[in-house]
Amino acid sequence: MSLERWERLLGEVIVIPGVRGAALVAVDDGLVVAEAALDQLDGADVAALVAALVSRAARVARSIPTEPPRLIHLAGEGGTLLAIEASAPLWLVAVAEPGAEVGRLRVLLGDLAGAVG
Amino acid sequence: MSDSSHASLTPAGAPSFLDLGERLRQHGQLDAAATVTMNGLRQWPTLAAGHDLRGRIEADRGDDHAAAEAWGAALACEPGHLGALKGLAFLAFRGHDFAAAERHLEVAVARAPHDATLLGALDRVRSRRPAAPADEPIRLDDPTSGLLLGDADGMRLSGGVGPEASAEAADAAAAETAGLLREATRSARLLGLGGVKHLVVECADARLAVLPVAPGAALLAVRSGSTPVGRLLATAQRAAGVATQWLAGLQ
Amino acid sequence: MRVLEPWVEAPLAEFLRESAARLALITTASGQVIAQHGFARSLDVMAAASLGAGILATTGELARMVDAAGGYRIVVHQGAQRGLWLAGFDTPRGRWIALVAFGEQSTVGLVRLFFHRFVERLVAAAPRTVPVREVLAEGFERELDASLRALFGGS
Repeated sequence: MSLERWERLLGEVIVIPGVRGAALVAVDDGLVVAEAALDQLDGADVAALVAALVSRAARVARSIPTEPPRLIHLAGEGGTLLAIEASAPLWLVAVAEPGAEVGRLRVLLGDLAGAVG
Repeated sequence: MSDSSHASLTPAGAPSFLDLGERLRQHGQLDAAATVTMNGLRQWPTLAAGHDLRGRIEADRGDDHAAAEAWGAALACEPGHLGALKGLAFLAFRGHDFAAAERHLEVAVARAPHDATLLGALDRVRSRRPAAPADEPIRLDDPTSGLLLGDADGMRLSGGVGPEASAEAADAAAAETAGLLREATRSARLLGLGGVKHLVVECADARLAVLPVAPGAALLAVRSGSTPVGRLLATAQRAAGVATQWLAGLQ
Repeated sequence: MRVLEPWVEAPLAEFLRESAARLALITTASGQVIAQHGFARSLDVMAAASLGAGILATTGELARMVDAAGGYRIVVHQGAQRGLWLAGFDTPRGRWIALVAFGEQSTVGLVRLFFHRFVERLVAAAPRTVPVREVLAEGFERELDASLRALFGGS
């Protein structure tokens, strides 16, 4: 899979109204692999924080216990972060404004996650 | 409103107007009861039991608006006041708002889980309203409910993570949930997402929702992997509401 | 945590808390230990400071050979369970070196994110009164010894 192909996939995410940006991140080291339109955000920051969130969510899952997390949806007063496992250790991430079509975004990320591999 | 259990709610050492007002109310002398109670409240304006008594008198008079206002004042003086919660549940029940009645009683049961009259009232309310799939009962005190409340330090306050999970697993989940909420709060802040409304974690076999409950506490809802996310959130939000009032009652 | 310069303490404590790093060692380029967290023995600090400075010097030389403009400011070693972050950075007190070790509770990305914030806070907190000292290779050992005695109380 090439960087160009990944950036094309991310391009499909950012056309959804309200999406501020999208990134492909490696959660084992918290680094960004590819990003699109994260103009107000640093892709590296997004990657680091998503990796920490995934790690924390995995610890909750282990404690219950359940299978490892494969999707995380953080809803804030000022926007939303959606992260979905693509091909380990890569996660597809989108950051959206309040009012974005989160349901549609969720479905799209799920579809694209399978194409990352 | 008839409430023979009021005496048990009267605080020890409470002003004598409470007993006098209640006796007058029970004898149907509502105007006299109201006068005594209002005079007493002028002297004791923050006494929740006094506002509770006023609520019962107004409910007996048929003035539901004044009764609701009185019970609201009681809750403002003492969050989680059982008499006020029962009164508000009674008003909602009388108005055929069974969902609201259930919410008030759920909060009351969370505070007094072994109160047979409350449990009976809750059963009665639930039997009267049509079943809605998203409206499952909120049982914060039940470790098998898949609803867990933990404090900011990760200590379990109430509940558990499901029927097959041990108390140790619930304690561990409470500890890890506090860490997850801290991480979510930090991420939301640094990414400009504002305060955390909720966090949903989906696994192959389970769906989890984490909601902040003031101050710093976290509510974790655990459901099967097939539970619709919207329903999970609806349940978690109702549980967070109950938990908020439950915590307010502890303070 | 032990610090020689009190104004370093708050930024470093925040960095350690946010990044979940296990060990941290801050030295000047001349070998003076400014702060350390997680080391139990002065000998370990001495070895880590010397090796860290050596690695940065080596990669700097490598950068010169391959014509990497600006050199390498950060060197990361990623193991299966532990990682090492080694960075040179400029402060009002001159060039400093940070050596950070992290485990499974953290990631390179998280250390990177909060390290940049740490440097910003450090620069903002640094008193401007002391003149920048020259980096003298021959003074490295002497500076290191003196600062270790101050930090660990040894003779």
